[in-house]
Amino acid sequence: MSMEDYDYLFKIVLIGNAGVGKTCLVRRFTQGLFPPGQGATIGVDFMIKTVEIKGEKVKLQIWDTAGQERFRSITQSYYRSANALILTYDITCEDSFRCLPEWLREIEQYANNQVVTILVGNKIDLAEKREVLRQRAEDFAEAQSMLYLETSAKESDNVEKLFLDLACELIREAKQNKLDNNDTAPMPGEGKTISYLSCCSLN
Amino acid sequence: MAAEDLPSEFDVVILGTGLAESVVAAACSRVGQRVLHLDRNSYYAANWASFTFNGLLTWIQQHHEESQPEEVQDWSSLLEEGEELIYLSYSDSTSISNLQVFCFTSEEDEGEEAQSPDPPNTTEEETAANGDEDAVKAASTDSTNEDPKDKIKEVTDGEGEGQQTADSEGVEPTADLPRPSAIQGQSEASRKKISYAQLVKEGRQFNIDLVSKLMFSRGSLVDLLIKSNVSRYAEFKNVTRILTYRHGNVEQVPCSRADVFASRQLSVVEKRKLMRFLTSCLEETEEQQAYNGRPYLEFLCDQQLGDNLEHFLLHSIAMVTEDTPTEVGLASTRHFLRCLGRYGNTPFLFPVYGLGEIPQCFCRMSAVFGGVYCLRHSVRCLLVDKDNRCKAVIDSRGQRISCSHFVVDSSYVATEQKKVTTPTRFLSRAILITDASILPSNSGQQVSMVTVPPIAAGFPVVMMVELCSSTMTCLPGTYLVHLTCQSVGSAFDDLSPVVTKMFHTPETDDQETRPSVLWCLYFNMADGLDVEVEGHNLPSNVYLCSGPDGHLGHDHAIRQAQLIFQKILPEEDFCPPAPNPEDVLYDGESLLPTGGGGGDNSGWGEKGEETKENPQTEE
Repeated sequence: MSMEDYDYLFKIVLIGNAGVGKTCLVRRFTQGLFPPGQGATIGVDFMIKTVEIKGEKVKLQIWDTAGQERFRSITQSYYRSANALILTYDITCEDSFRCLPEWLREIEQYANNQVVTILVGNKIDLAEKREVLRQRAEDFAEAQSMLYLETSAKESDNVEKLFLDLACELIREAKQNKLDNNDTAPMPGEGKTISYLSCCSLN
Repeated sequence: MAAEDLPSEFDVVILGTGLAESVVAAACSRVGQRVLHLDRNSYYAANWASFTFNGLLTWIQQHHEESQPEEVQDWSSLLEEGEELIYLSYSDSTSISNLQVFCFTSEEDEGEEAQSPDPPNTTEEETAANGDEDAVKAASTDSTNEDPKDKIKEVTDGEGEGQQTADSEGVEPTADLPRPSAIQGQSEASRKKISYAQLVKEGRQFNIDLVSKLMFSRGSLVDLLIKSNVSRYAEFKNVTRILTYRHGNVEQVPCSRADVFASRQLSVVEKRKLMRFLTSCLEETEEQQAYNGRPYLEFLCDQQLGDNLEHFLLHSIAMVTEDTPTEVGLASTRHFLRCLGRYGNTPFLFPVYGLGEIPQCFCRMSAVFGGVYCLRHSVRCLLVDKDNRCKAVIDSRGQRISCSHFVVDSSYVATEQKKVTTPTRFLSRAILITDASILPSNSGQQVSMVTVPPIAAGFPVVMMVELCSSTMTCLPGTYLVHLTCQSVGSAFDDLSPVVTKMFHTPETDDQETRPSVLWCLYFNMADGLDVEVEGHNLPSNVYLCSGPDGHLGHDHAIRQAQLIFQKILPEEDFCPPAPNPEDVLYDGESLLPTGGGGGDNSGWGEKGEETKENPQTEE
């Protein structure tokens, strides 16, 4: 894998209620598209985008829930080895905000301790239908020591910023971890994936 | 959260998220079938699950409360002309039994010991009721009331089994090497016993498997993971060494060519003999055929290999018993050698975060291809038409959901509908949390497979797997030890003699040099080997998946899943590779990374070329 052309690889995982726009955020960022309609995305596992930050190539692997959030049945393995979580709600939907504590419980249980979590209020293009005040969300995020950002996948507001901010934060943490030599959290690739193994003899 | 209703039409409805069901789900979704996948539990993987420490305590508690059968509701209003109902069993009351929990560490941190009324080290954990119940709660919302019948037996005799006293004097000095504490980054002096309170507090660092298996690196599961690209959802560690218990000692089994050369316990003559034997094993010879039907042990004896090598070859490499026929023993040996060196020095892999990840990975694949997932949701009954086909099911909310095929974990099916070998066979399981490795090593963290031959006549062969914290299954500073055997008696009767021989418990006070057991659990689980996919008193389009079987590998479940898939979709490909997400953006990149280096470092002849073997050929 030495020929891979990047300095960092991070796994970013999206969670949040169905219909808050998780897939749209990913598609907007990775493909520049806003998919109209609510069609389920069949066969798409994760998306990849490589960005350059201060001269370093950062490969972002962005995972979507594959619809398992619909009946609250996300596999634990989905959270494993995620470097960052994007917890998304819909600012026009009070219910999606009220479910956040439930999502946080799941994060606490299954994600690793050092995961970076960012709270995202999506659909700010629908400002006239807003049900969750910005201040309320900011207070909530602060109480949970999360970053907070409001986005519109439709208008492409703050989407780029969301992922780039995350990437910066992850680089900062990775450098810090290297300094601390603190290796409690496994980075992706520390264990070995089989397909990786199938071509190399590693010990 | 008010859950929305499920869609009411599917091609395949699957109940239970064990390994076989999950593979069927992935395979069906992958080729475009509309799949609904349900589980009555709030967690994935049924009896294949891994739990955090607190999650396991909750699981134990749930198995103490025998839920009363739900009042049978009348669903006849949902029946259409000519349909009949088959009720499924409400809860799984038979697959798990004889749970016994022991806590041998102090309740609180040592600093607070003075306040504790219980004497340290002998605290017995009654029902684990003080565990964090928030962890897994939803399943209990269905259960009606508690049954006071407590299955945990009190262990009153602290004396343990009489056998170990005789044995303790025979312990050779090699077993009493200094403790591995230094390797753990803790000095001998500071090595403090981890309290029960700490296990609970750090409970989420554990991923404790209900079943204990390993992945043969050329077994059908690994082949399927690679073929389907499901492997991308998990990471794996090599099992780093194979150990065996012999004459009261734990010894390392040399298996790769490098191991044999490096081995200090083998003489030069033995090394040469072992090399020659293993190399000659790869091909079938007339000499071997002459032994067909006769015990493998006899064949080994006649090779004049000596006691050491005989033991290694029989128990640790072929992993068979003394009366196994030669052809079976040789086949196992060849399989072992084929698997050796594909990824590491042993034939085995273990998934990081535990075996419970594997079914979930297949569920994820199914979801990616449109499978609908709903935990805490079950099926109450099947609607059967005149042609004895299941047309629809009624779910736990009373909704009618039509389907063309129904796949179900056998524990959901009432006994009278199942055709099973009687009496049902069981597996005995023990799960230990210990404070040190069974064989300290100076090369850091080890993942060990340990073969334990019968400790006395009438006792079963025990498979033991010792996991270190780098597998993300236990708290740093602890080891997670799984013991499995075919049941002779209860799990406690079968396995506690092995535990007291190999570990330090309050019953073995004089054996402080051994790893201490901090906490342990015994239970029996029904052996899934006896349940067939078809041939039950059920509609023809209903297929049964057994629970976990007692074999070390996963071939049984994978074979079942493949068989069911072929019944449902005889024309379709089984788990073709899912498109690689990288290909979407990077056109022309090959599916598997190409890299230098052969895959084989076992050195036993076969070169490491990547063969696309058909998984079903494993027998």
